[in-house]
Amino acid sequence: MVAVEEAGYFEVAGAHLYTVLHEVAAPAARVLLIGAFGAERHTSYLPWVRWARYLAQTGIECLRYDYRGIGESTGCFEELSFDDWKEDVEMLAAWLNRRAPMVPLALHGLEVGALLASSAFAAGMGDALLLWAAPNTANEVLRPQLVRRVAIDNMFRYGTERKRVADYLDLIETEPIEVEGYRWSQKLWRDSLDVDLPAAMKADSAGARPVRSVVLDSRAEPLVKGSMSVVVEPDLTALFADNLEWLHSSLVTGGGGR
Amino acid sequence: MNTFIESRELIAVDVGGNRLWATYHKPCRDLSNLAPDEKNRVGILFLNSGLLPRASPSAVYWAESFARCGYPAIRFDLPGLGDSQGDIPEKAFDFVSDGGYAPDLAAALKNIVNRYELSGVVLMGLCAGAVTSLFTAAISAECQGLILMDPYFHVPQERLKIRDELSRWSVLSGPGLFAGHVYHGFRHLARVLRGNKLPKNANLPLLRSWRQVTSAGKPVLVLKAPSLKTRGIKPRAGEFDYLAYLQRVAGSGADVRVRVIEGTNHSFADTAGCQGVREHSERWLNHFFPLSTQTEPQEATVMERAMALPGLRS
Repeated sequence: MVAVEEAGYFEVAGAHLYTVLHEVAAPAARVLLIGAFGAERHTSYLPWVRWARYLAQTGIECLRYDYRGIGESTGCFEELSFDDWKEDVEMLAAWLNRRAPMVPLALHGLEVGALLASSAFAAGMGDALLLWAAPNTANEVLRPQLVRRVAIDNMFRYGTERKRVADYLDLIETEPIEVEGYRWSQKLWRDSLDVDLPAAMKADSAGARPVRSVVLDSRAEPLVKGSMSVVVEPDLTALFADNLEWLHSSLVTGGGGR
Repeated sequence: MNTFIESRELIAVDVGGNRLWATYHKPCRDLSNLAPDEKNRVGILFLNSGLLPRASPSAVYWAESFARCGYPAIRFDLPGLGDSQGDIPEKAFDFVSDGGYAPDLAAALKNIVNRYELSGVVLMGLCAGAVTSLFTAAISAECQGLILMDPYFHVPQERLKIRDELSRWSVLSGPGLFAGHVYHGFRHLARVLRGNKLPKNANLPLLRSWRQVTSAGKPVLVLKAPSLKTRGIKPRAGEFDYLAYLQRVAGSGADVRVRVIEGTNHSFADTAGCQGVREHSERWLNHFFPLSTQTEPQEATVMERAMALPGLRS
């Protein structure tokens, strides 16, 4: 199946979201891909794009995008919050719905993206929810990024010059700290402790709408949280095929359609 | 969805049967409003490190800064990377070390130079992106200068896991630090006894490209992050000093400048790295590729503009 990739900007309040639509003629279903957060976005990018292409080649149209203030999207990261990123999901899901209201839509999130997808799904959006490596809270994703930053800083420090993670957490109470190119605010850190997975999403069902949560292990590098993988093109065929089958059975053959 | 906003445009370049994607940052002044002598200006094309997509925060920051100074800036995904189509070779880093991306990038440069009526392009690359930039500069007439950020001139070998563990131990523990000093001391001694020759794993085709580029008079700016257990541009004890070697072989007509940016690391992604790269690059661009003799940006003005960028206030 031929899929066309269309990159573009989607306007939101005070910013433009970078989007890539993997467009399919007469799609069987659609998926909104809500990817990894912050620096994790960059390391997971290749397999994420491969996944989008895989879906499109099998007749599932998908839209991937960058969060406001991250990657190719505009906006000042330091001034943004999880509420803004939730709004991004809702606006794009609504846009996809308007494109073809009769075609079923799945929300699919990776790591922090899984939390944002769950939030939108709990609010009634989407016909199915697919979660990859969903953390319990957003803080579980932020903390390893901070630990990596501290480790890099300490490589150039000796003895008492070395700092602990706790020192950085004290610092963020008074001023933003830079982590892999992003300036984290006190609000981001505090809010990350409260952005969690709704209890109903932990089970493999949420009322009548199908939900699936997949734990990614080391074989799924570099999609995995905190991965420093140097595997260039990991073989994710099994993961892709299994999740494609679930999407098909949930949205197309299993009565998830509208 | 639009492919452009006020300050940027998404562009597709078809090369070798693949659609490659880039982001063009529009210069602060519209080309059509410029005087004829000012119209032909260089663009800056950035290649990210390794397999990273074109939109890391630092890459976006530099592109926006250059565009604000009046230089069109382009962030580019090589075939198979980021959003660009294509397959990544199984041994991707060997492919980079062989200059495998250079022909496609050279073809893309032609397209971009024609599309935006540029006089040429300065290639700016980080780590593996710097290696590809140098190979490309040697075969591309469109490339007029280079900004190389932490380039490497050897062919990386696959590292055993135990070697990574030993490296970590030598950095993080007291006995490891001592063992590291002893080990590198012996390496230094062995290197001196061998007459400080080029290492066996030197990337000879890349060194040839260096000679071609510098002898052609294309200016080169090398930006270095501090290395472990050394200061300034000198490598740590026991390692071959490629930069000293390259400056020796560059020839008398070459203009090679090397700058160290203190307080940053190999990614240059922190505030010190971002600002240091921007300051050195803008000063270098203003010197070698001035936009206009009458309106050359003053250093203070450039600094003020960039400090006003959101997200990077110190």
